[in-house]
Amino acid sequence: MTTTRRDALKAVAGSVALASLSIEGALAQAGGKFVYANNSPYDNLDPHTIFDTARAASRFNLYDGLYRWVDNPPKMIPWLAESHTVSDDGKVYTFKLRQNAKFHDGKPLTSADVVYSIERILALKKGPASLYLDSIKPGSTQAPDPHTVVFNLNGPSAIFLTTVPDILVVNSALVKANEKDGDWGEAWLTRNEAGSGSYALRRHDPAVGFTARRFAEHFAGWTGQPFDDLEFRTVLETNTRVLGLIRGDFQGADGYLPYDQIQRLRQSSNVQIIEQESMRVFILALNCTKPPMNNPNFRRALAYAFDYDGFIKSIMKDSVSRNPGPNPNNIWGTPAGLKGYSYNLEKAREELKKVTEPLRPITINALAGFSESEQAATLFQSTLRQIGVEVVVEVSPWSVVSSRMRKADTQADIVPLWKSTYYVDPNNWVGELYGTRYHGTRTFSYYSNPEFDKRLDRALVSSDQDERRKLYEEMTQMVNDDAAGIFVYNTRWYGPYSSKVEGIRFSPVSNGQDIRWASLKR
Amino acid sequence: MNWLSMVANRLLWFVPTLVGLLAIVFVLSRVIPVDPAVLAAGENASAAQVQQVRERFGFDKPLPIQFANYLRDIAQGNLGTSLFTQQPIVDDLASRLPATLELTIFAVLIAGLVGIPLGVLCGLHRNSWIDHVLRVVTVSGLAVASFWLAMQFQFLFSMKLGWLPLSGRIEGFPPEPVTGLMLVDAMIEGDREMIGSAFRHIVLPTLTLALPAAATVVRFTRNGVIGVINSPSVAYQTAMGLPRRLIVWKYVLRMALTATVTQLGLIFGILLAGAVVVETVFDWPGLGAYAVRSILQSDYNAVMGFTLCTGALFVLINLLVDMLQAAIDPRGAA
Repeated sequence: MTTTRRDALKAVAGSVALASLSIEGALAQAGGKFVYANNSPYDNLDPHTIFDTARAASRFNLYDGLYRWVDNPPKMIPWLAESHTVSDDGKVYTFKLRQNAKFHDGKPLTSADVVYSIERILALKKGPASLYLDSIKPGSTQAPDPHTVVFNLNGPSAIFLTTVPDILVVNSALVKANEKDGDWGEAWLTRNEAGSGSYALRRHDPAVGFTARRFAEHFAGWTGQPFDDLEFRTVLETNTRVLGLIRGDFQGADGYLPYDQIQRLRQSSNVQIIEQESMRVFILALNCTKPPMNNPNFRRALAYAFDYDGFIKSIMKDSVSRNPGPNPNNIWGTPAGLKGYSYNLEKAREELKKVTEPLRPITINALAGFSESEQAATLFQSTLRQIGVEVVVEVSPWSVVSSRMRKADTQADIVPLWKSTYYVDPNNWVGELYGTRYHGTRTFSYYSNPEFDKRLDRALVSSDQDERRKLYEEMTQMVNDDAAGIFVYNTRWYGPYSSKVEGIRFSPVSNGQDIRWASLKR
Repeated sequence: MNWLSMVANRLLWFVPTLVGLLAIVFVLSRVIPVDPAVLAAGENASAAQVQQVRERFGFDKPLPIQFANYLRDIAQGNLGTSLFTQQPIVDDLASRLPATLELTIFAVLIAGLVGIPLGVLCGLHRNSWIDHVLRVVTVSGLAVASFWLAMQFQFLFSMKLGWLPLSGRIEGFPPEPVTGLMLVDAMIEGDREMIGSAFRHIVLPTLTLALPAAATVVRFTRNGVIGVINSPSVAYQTAMGLPRRLIVWKYVLRMALTATVTQLGLIFGILLAGAVVVETVFDWPGLGAYAVRSILQSDYNAVMGFTLCTGALFVLINLLVDMLQAAIDPRGAA
């Protein structure tokens, strides 16, 4: 077995991070309570069932993974695992676990728990499972000793390591004790917790949220004045969350509030807004299958007909950055100088003249309750009319839209929506959105291009970073040339927190809800 | 028909009414172009995973069989499992119903306590300045949107004056429920601070719900009083020299309240199912918020469970209203 250059770099980064953690020791002092108001319900705490960034709080505060994404741009630091090695053929990943990690009930965390956790993920086939179902066979993961875990992949995988932080480890003995009818403890773990995370669950009320108490014996130790208690509440009404922040009822809230509410919060001395460029790309997803949408000329006409600057300046009030490609601006994989498309109705008309198929009304399916999605649809409808393309705008809740997107023949022609960060690799964006292998699962487009797929297949197995960079850049260029999607902006994250809070470490993966680093200002 | 047979008759209609209600909701929920299995399996699920979920929840079976299976399960006390909370629907509903009941009971009480006296006042002083002023107020009360009223209350009483809390049912995270009715639980605990906190938290949502309801009660009571006070029986009682106070409080009010009681029952049912906006604005974790989320997520079992629950309560409340009416005016049961 050998360690690649990237692994060596990571091991260095990890040892630095761990050194800083070990210094933390028992320096922590009592730090009060942190109340977070979220617009998504915390109705399920199972880390192997839920997988959306909006509800990252329970996953990252109650549970630990082998590695963890922190900061922005995200960097992966060793967490439950101290290091790893990869075999020459890229199929065997061996992780060395820390000796001092324990679960909230005091039981030491061992490799058997890691094996149980990945088996549970594969068996439940929910949440993060789709990241591993193609690459790990059930029963193939081994625990040769209590502090060594060996993942035997079906084949080499360039993205496996980036998805390792999503293997959150559960207390196997505790979950097994609560299994019912072979359900892998799913019913029990929905309302309970079996983790080793920085905070231990105290109460969960699916209608309200959950509270957690700081786990003093957490392996990473504590320093400064961390919060002793966390309370994550579901507060659906935006106005109530905003007023609660201003009043001081809440110390934090979700970071994708409408921009006018951010401006309102800026007026309050009780609130600070932490700004970061996120990794959440706003895309007008194009269904590339139905005529004339399957014609690149028609799609290019569409791409020239969207008023990018008008949308960003007038509607988004310049609160976001133009993002010309499918990958966020702040990650590799986009060719240098990619300009993307600009608003030019003359060019749109020229492209339209090349379309031989009969035109038909195009359907835009906007997301109900997401004003940017609805506004983009309306704006696009008006500009497309100017080039003679009729548009029907439908507004549906996410449940309807996502259900339609499951099949090419039911997905609307255009869907304005966001692609969030599940793992930090261009494959999360350009690979998943446009690779044929992801049709019916994570695609937004049903785009199919053998040349693209050939590069994607290679990029998913290559361990050469330079080669992967080149391949993803080529794929991004192809998607751009074929106008397989309309890429508008990368979201800025405006995290609203109490002005008395410091130490928030935003990562697009944990979405500002990983609170172990935060504390009250002295 | 005597009182008992009236009750038996109403109960006899209870089951078919609910089955009819469920049938309508079942068909409507299946018309929506959403595959609940896709939602339950998660956005990254493969086609095989989706199919597995579909088979597990029986969504792959023909609609009549799905409905028949659902009715069979209900008869066994099983409303199914929520696609998202993974909990039995019965548990989900049981944990949220008390919050809505508490809010609704208080709102109806306030609506009755405020609305009935004001309605009597308007009826007795028809077309006087009191009647005109209250007419303007009540029409405004009916016209105002509850979300606007809720936000104005928040701005005034929570943000500007700081008298009342902004949202939630109690300071901090709610304790383990005993009855689920926060005020009752606080009293059982004997914790004065908790009682005070629960009371302060319920004031604004209750007022938001109660004011439009009180406006309705005022209008109905006024009309009832005017109708009775102009009747021959009251003219006869006046001619017989009975004191006006006795006529009003013993005879007029009793007869006039028949319509008001019916209205209060309807209001209770409407508020129970329609407290959605108030629950959302005030972060009140009741049935309304649960129903909205279930509908948005196409959680079929949860939507059906909510419908069954509110439908059953509505029918029961109407039964109680009928019984109360029969007690007020025995001629109604005849």
